Amino acid sequence: MDNNFLVIENISKSFGDNKVLENINLNISKSEFFGLLGSSGSGKTTLLRILGGFEKPDTGRVILDGTDITNLEPFDRPLNYMFQSYALFPHLNVFNNLAFGIKENFTKKEIEINVRDIAELLSIEHLLNRRIKQLSGGEQQRVALGRCLIKKPKLLLLDEPLAALDKKLRSKTQLELTTLQKKLKITFVFVTHDQEEAMSLSDRMAIMKNGLILECSSPEEIYENPKSLYTANFIGIANIIEIYKKDENFYSDDLDINFKLNKELKKTKTNILLRPEKIKIQSINNLKTSSFNSFSGEILEKSYLGSFTRYEIKVNNIIISVLDQNFNSNSNYNFPKGEKVICSWESESIKILED
Amino acid sequence: MFEKYFVFSPYFWLVLFFFIPLAIIFKISISVSEWGMPPYQDIFLFDNGFKINTTFENYVYIFSDYYYIGSFVNSLILALISTFFCLLIGFPLAFYIATSNIRLRNILLVLVVIPFWSSFLLRVYAWKIILQNNGILNVILLNLGITSEPLQLLYNQYAVIMGIVYTYLPLMILPLYGYLNKFDLNLIEASKDLGLNRFKTFFKVILPLSVPGIVAGSLLVFIPVVGEFIIPEMLGGSDRLYYGKILWEEFFVNRNWPGASALAFSGIIILVLPIVIFQILYSRWSQKNEI
Repeated sequence: MDNNFLVIENISKSFGDNKVLENINLNISKSEFFGLLGSSGSGKTTLLRILGGFEKPDTGRVILDGTDITNLEPFDRPLNYMFQSYALFPHLNVFNNLAFGIKENFTKKEIEINVRDIAELLSIEHLLNRRIKQLSGGEQQRVALGRCLIKKPKLLLLDEPLAALDKKLRSKTQLELTTLQKKLKITFVFVTHDQEEAMSLSDRMAIMKNGLILECSSPEEIYENPKSLYTANFIGIANIIEIYKKDENFYSDDLDINFKLNKELKKTKTNILLRPEKIKIQSINNLKTSSFNSFSGEILEKSYLGSFTRYEIKVNNIIISVLDQNFNSNSNYNFPKGEKVICSWESESIKILED
Repeated sequence: MFEKYFVFSPYFWLVLFFFIPLAIIFKISISVSEWGMPPYQDIFLFDNGFKINTTFENYVYIFSDYYYIGSFVNSLILALISTFFCLLIGFPLAFYIATSNIRLRNILLVLVVIPFWSSFLLRVYAWKIILQNNGILNVILLNLGITSEPLQLLYNQYAVIMGIVYTYLPLMILPLYGYLNKFDLNLIEASKDLGLNRFKTFFKVILPLSVPGIVAGSLLVFIPVVGEFIIPEMLGGSDRLYYGKILWEEFFVNRNWPGASALAFSGIIILVLPIVIFQILYSRWSQKNEI
């Protein structure tokens, strides 16, 4: 696969004194579904707008399929941009919104055929004569998508593509979007602040913070092996524990236990990540506490989430989150509040955070 | 209790300040004129039993003399040209104001409104001073050597158009701004993204979506300009007669109140009827198109 399909090279951008992007470098492959994830103010939307041609970078280049597009106007770029608000034309009906970008270069018949095809692909054939205001949020999203896809872009940029949809529709649309992308093999780059959305859509994703890319990898890799404390906290629920070298082992003051690591560590002090679903929770009667990789604590809070129960367990003065899968159909299986439990984990589950 | 009647307040306003004066004008316009005070006879006579004393002579008189019709046509043309130039200058200004940041926007809006704070007569008179033969503009042109003798800038129809465009420009800018202010700038970016350059984006997206603002601003300029009296009087020459001036002369110089009323009433009907019809059709169209 050509992993230099979209090359973002040393892109920097400031608005006045405010540095929004600092030296961004990214290589995105052809047909990749790539996510830019960050909280507001991370610069992710500015980066997407630079790709779309709506902002000019202060330094750096954008190369798409071998062509430098940095200085091209939006209307000269072989890519399309789907706006968060969808930006559908209120004075045109669905048909003319879809046909907007191809009216120039196509005959009437070709327009008709193209619009029908794209409407069929997105199952919006029945909406073609509607006005934009008569559409639901989900329908508007499809029209916005169709309006871009009809141009057969090399690259589709999506700004928070699902943010305006309600929760149930969002998960349905997520699935449709990935299916569509795999089918059309168009490169998608999208921006989101929602980590679940980023994880479920992306082949690879980049975590952005304060105009920098912290990490760029597959969702699995970023979730399981985050490099930084920020990423670990940003993606999913994270138990962060500080440990330091004491005699031959690593020791946590907070938990007052020893850790056994399956990896050599050069530093004498570090933060480790323990994801809540990696922790096994057991009744204190069943076991005696081992001196490694386990602790006993008291259940402070519990919330039943259907397939999982989330426990907040108090150990000394800190709180550890544990997600326990509800295997058993008997609801009494859950531990009640105030119960003393033993938590344990495999040493492979401990991830060392580099910074 | 009170709220129930509150909805009728616009109608109350319309009746009090439009229909009643209009009815009075109509009444005078069908009266027989005479020398006296007021210079027309009553339309209902009770001397020897009840008698209705009306005439349509005044209308016949006005419509048979091209002097009156011609002046009305002149005014319509003047209003059309002025509205066009107000739109041409006002649209980019309104668009610029609507799309600039909030601080600059407020400054610009104040600048648009500031002329209203000084006397209208004074402002038109200022133009007279600027444009006259030994006025600032001619002095500058002479000193720069662009012209060898003073240009006759004043007392012609160009001076009138300029004066009207200058005076009425805020009336075009403000409603346009009010509309463009709500314009979603993403639509412009979306149009460019879909391959349309600036020029095409203007005609395919910005212009069609600005129609309500353009209509509001144009009507606000067009209607009063048709009856405009002071600016042609002060800046215009004798080459062209305008409706407002004829009306004034008919009332105050010739003291032909019935004739003047007939002229005024005809003018209102000719102007208002098409506009009312247009408004009805337009509101139907915009409802259908949801603009």
